[in-house]
Parts: sequence; C-alpha cells; structure tokens
Amino acid sequence: MPVLKRCFLRSPTKAARFSVWRNLIGKELRELVASRSFWLLLLVVSALVGQAFITSVNLYAEASGSGGNPAALSQGLSPLEGIAVPTFGAYDLASLLLFPFVVIRLFSSEKESGALLLMLQAPVSYLVNIFAKAIALFTAWVVALLPGLTALALWKVMNGHLYTPEIVTLLLGYLLRGIITIGIGSVAAALSASASSAAIIALTFTLATWVLDYIAAARGGIIAVVANYTPWAALRVFERGELSVSVMVVLFTSSVGALLFVSQWMRVGVALASRMRIGALCVFATVIVCAAGATLSVSDDTSENRRNSFSEADEAALASIEQPLVITVYLAAEDPRLVDLDRGVLSKLRRTMKHVSIVYAAKGRTGLFEHAGDHYGEVWYALGDKRVMSRSATEEIVLESIYELAEKKPPTLAESVPYPGYPLDARPIAAPWVFFGAWPLLICSLWFVLRRHDTSRLQQGD
Amino acid sequence: MLRLAPPNRCYFFAVTSFIDVNSISKRFGEFWALRDASFAIRRGEVLGLIGPNGSGKSTLFGCMAGLIPASGGSVKAEFADIPVAERKQHLYFVPDGVHPWNDQNVAWVLRFFAHLHGASPEAMRMRINELSLASLLAARLRELSKGEHRRVMLALGLLSEAPLLLLDEPFDGLDLRQTREAMSVLRQHAGAGRTLFLSIHQLNDAARVCDRLVLLNAGRIVGAGTLSELRARAGATDAGIEEVFLALTN
Repeated sequence: MPVLKRCFLRSPTKAARFSVWRNLIGKELRELVASRSFWLLLLVVSALVGQAFITSVNLYAEASGSGGNPAALSQGLSPLEGIAVPTFGAYDLASLLLFPFVVIRLFSSEKESGALLLMLQAPVSYLVNIFAKAIALFTAWVVALLPGLTALALWKVMNGHLYTPEIVTLLLGYLLRGIITIGIGSVAAALSASASSAAIIALTFTLATWVLDYIAAARGGIIAVVANYTPWAALRVFERGELSVSVMVVLFTSSVGALLFVSQWMRVGVALASRMRIGALCVFATVIVCAAGATLSVSDDTSENRRNSFSEADEAALASIEQPLVITVYLAAEDPRLVDLDRGVLSKLRRTMKHVSIVYAAKGRTGLFEHAGDHYGEVWYALGDKRVMSRSATEEIVLESIYELAEKKPPTLAESVPYPGYPLDARPIAAPWVFFGAWPLLICSLWFVLRRHDTSRLQQGD
Repeated sequence: MLRLAPPNRCYFFAVTSFIDVNSISKRFGEFWALRDASFAIRRGEVLGLIGPNGSGKSTLFGCMAGLIPASGGSVKAEFADIPVAERKQHLYFVPDGVHPWNDQNVAWVLRFFAHLHGASPEAMRMRINELSLASLLAARLRELSKGEHRRVMLALGLLSEAPLLLLDEPFDGLDLRQTREAMSVLRQHAGAGRTLFLSIHQLNDAARVCDRLVLLNAGRIVGAGTLSELRARAGATDAGIEEVFLALTN
C-alpha cells in the first residue's frame, strides 16, 4: 500500500462532514458567547438602535403634522427613508466601530492562544475552520440585527406602514455589510500579530475607503467605479431600495475572497514567499470575479415610491435607444446641482440604458474658481454625432433632451397611481422601555445564564 | 561531534525506522536554529529529545509537524517524503506554552477535540481517567494550574489518532507523582503501538521514560541512541545521563 494512503484519517461521509461543520461552528459560537466583545456589541447596538428609532419616529411625527404643526406633503413621507433607514443607520456605526472588533477577537485569539497550531493539525482543512468562523460571526451579526427588527415591529404596532420588498432589500444590504465586515476583520487579524494591530489595520482600511469615496466624488473613470463598491457606498444602494446584482456579487465575492486569503495566510508552516504567492493569487482571482460582477447591470427597484426609476413608459423608450449615450457634466463634486442630477437622473439612466457613460469634467471640487470658458454648469448629452447642452437637473428636461437626440417621441405618460406617502403622528412610548430596559436586561440575563449553563450541566453529570 | 550519516547510508534506519527525519534545517536570518538534523524514529518507541535551552528542540518539532517552514530537509515515512500538507496524517504536535480555548471548560474542550479527531467517547473517558481529569471537567481552562493545564494538553494529544505524537515538555509543571503517572500513561500508549517523541529538559525524567534519546545542541544533533549507546559515544561507560549530556554538548 503506498505510504500516503496509509493515513489514520477516515474518508468523510456526508454525515461526517456535516458533523465536522456542526462541531466547528459550535466551537466558534461558544467562543463568541464567551467573549465580552459580543455582548458589548449587543448592548451598544440596542441603545444605538433605540435612540435612532425614537428620534426618527419623533421627526416623522413632526413632519406628519403633530401638535398642529403644518404637515409636509404626504408623498414625501416614506417609512423607508423616514424610519427604517435612520433606525438601521445605527448598524452602519456598529459595522464600522464595533463588529470588526468582534471579528478580530475571534480570529486573533486563535493565533495568540496557540489554538491555531492545534487547528492547523486537525484532520479537516483549515479552510473549513475559517468558514465555520465566518458562519458563526454571521449568526452573531444576525442576532445583533434583532433590535432593528424589533424597532420595525414596534413601528407596525404603532400602525406604521412598511413595504416588505424595500425592507427586505434594506436588510439584505445590512446582512452583506456584516459579511464584508467579517472579510475585512479576518484579513486584518490574519495579517497582524495581535488584536490591537488588527484593529488599526481594519480602521485604516475604513479610512482608505472614505478617502476613495472623497476622491471619486470629483472624478469619473475607474476610481468612481471602484468607489461604488466601498462598504459605505454599497450600503447606500440598498438604503435607496435598489437591489443591485453587481453590488451583491462584488460584496459577496470580496468577502469570500478575503476568507480564502485568510485560510492561506494563516498556514504558518508554509514559507512566507509561498503564502504571498498564493495570497496574491487569491486577491487576483477575487479582483477578476469582482470586475466581472461589476459589469452586471441587472438591478431591481424595490422601493415603493420608485425613487430609483423613471416611469415605465420612459424606461421602455430609453431602453430602446441602442447608441451609446455620453454625458459630460461640468459640475464640481460639491455643487448641489450635481448631487441632484446624480441622484435624480444619472443613477436612473445608468440602470435603464444599455450604453451610458458619464464624464465628470469639472476641474475643481467646489466650482468656485472655474473660468468663464470652462463651460461650468453645463451638461452635454452626446448620442452618435449629435450633441445637446442643458443646464437642468430636472428629470423631465433631461429626458426631453435625450429623446431629441435620439429622434424619439417622448412617450405619453400612462395613468399611474402616485405614491401616496404614509404620514403618521405617533409617539414611541414603548420604545425607551424596550431598548433601554428590556433588551439590555435580556442580554445581561442571557450572558449570565449561558456562562453558567455548562457548569450546571456538568454538575448534573451530563 | 557526531557526523550524521547521509540518507543513502542510513541502512540501519531504513530497515527499522518508522519516520525518518532527514537534514532538517531552519534559519532565522543569519542564525541557524537547526542545521542538518537527521535521525530515525522507530515504531512504538518513546524517543526523547534533549538539549540545552535554545538548542532548537521546539523548532525541530515545529518543522517536523509543518508548523514552522523548514529551510531545508524532509520528513519521510517508508522512504517517501511526507509533504508538509500531509504531515498531520502521520504526526501530531502538542506545543509547549499554548493556551487554547481558555474561556471554555475542560469537558467541552475534550469533547470538541475528540469529535474533531474522530476519537470515541470511550477514548475520551479513558483519557479523563488516565490523567485524573474528572475533577477538573467543570473548570475553565484559564482557571487551571500549570500542571492541570499540562495534563489537559496531554489528553488532547492522546485524543488525536496520529501514529506519532510529538509532545513538547509534557512533564513541565507536573509534580513528582503526576510526572510518574503521566510517564506510566505514555508508556502504556507506546506499548499499545503509539510512537512518542518527547522533548524533555529534565534529563532524569527523559532517562526514565524514553527508550532512546536524541541530543540536540546549538541546532545540531550531537547524539542519538539508547543511554548505553550515548555513554559509549561520550566515552563514559559508567556515567549518568547528566554527565553524558554535558560531555556530548560541551
């Protein structure tokens, strides 16, 4: 018998593989429960969500005309924008400043305690161990999302309106935010010798993405494309109710790529040069898949008020334009007109038209020092050899310019039911009790019970 | 100083050895922690690795287990190189100074480890009895004394089913009675066919428990064999292990 076949390991059956996964995920969950950082995350998130929910409900009530104040137009009152997004905004903070440390703790403690040396010799691939950690951390993130879901339940109890598709999209965005945080934290922990160094690396990465967002705001091209997929920018897509396949693919692939990188990098018995080669290969493969994913233009507007879409008639007319549309924008990044144009028109055009490219041609960031001959304030639309200039950021005028270039007749607007808006003058009376009383009490009780659980089981002879 | 036979002259090793360590070297920058370490391990024996502090004992174990990248050399089983990725199929190394899963209790750690390595509940119970761990099962690992922790780590090593077990300082922190009990357990496992390679800095303990010894000094193997063979090599036929050690590591 060849020597390499004579190993003591059994060939795993499906049941045995499941058993191994269960054992490893169970271990990671126990490690999480044993770590104070996880419980602190739950406590802090509960308070942050509570504060955000109470504030947003009060502001929403004010906008709905509470206390005899003049109400805003009801069409402008969307529970997604007024309640769900600000409430879940607490998780943006948590995924930035709290959850990475929970991730880092789980990965770094294995390195620092020496458990890594034992796990590397276990008769399962270390990759399985890494993914077991990721699954446990994802579970922890889902648990951390419970206060947010409780807030939505409270909103429903208060007779608030929720539109399920846009809420599901928002939740999906935050689940992916958690997954990418796991990827970032795990890479930081793998690259550094201690948890504190890993924390610095994770925060540096966050700062770098902010810098990228800042630079991309004034530039087009590849930087702007990359900046669309920073965790912060990607989350904004879901918050708008847009379900973008490219964003989902890029975030998920980056996270899986990060975990693959970690599984290779943590193999301390392999020479550094080899690990660097394999690590670079992981990064390269991830970049390729992400680049391919970024080209997917499939997306769905799940928002109830269709804030990411033109009317269905306009969408059909624009989609039928085969020639590439080039838009040259002479507006600086900090010019509010560019913000309006980008959100109100350009992002919808990107979703609707097959071939559209946008060039940001302003030289400065503020537009204060542009010269008269710099075309500042102009937006040029070019289709084939025809060009037309407009200074408007209004959807109707821009579409009119495009139809004129394409020599198409603007579609007649079909009768559609306008978004009604959902004003609600309600006070979150129960929320403080839930988020500052019941949740912290539940978390502390759970912590206490789970800490005692094993000891009592053993004392009973289990 | 002992000159090591190159692999093609290891006929004696080849016919009786179970694992051959061939010219393992490890360099950290300009410093050679190990240089051409070669020796053979026989099936079912208790082999001791002794040497002064900093002689490279833990590094040798790490390189053998594939946890430290060696600068050169190989580990062979029946003449075939065992690639680093497949070392865990042949050997298991319990390092010194590791404190894994400190927040978990002993019972869970043993259960997890047994499950991970496919050891039966019966095997786990036997390890608990052999190493007197029953009274510690409810304690968290961070609450254990050094000796208690050492016994738990020993149990983990014995729960792995690798044919060769490398234990770094298995008796460190144990009192006299515990040391003798642990030695007895290890001898029983060796008697049952498990091969053990122990790094021991207490020379008398090494002489008591090991069938053969490998002496390491400044990263080089300076002697390998039974105590009698080492005495002969040192030219001190009536000397104790300490004298032999001093003579060979001088």
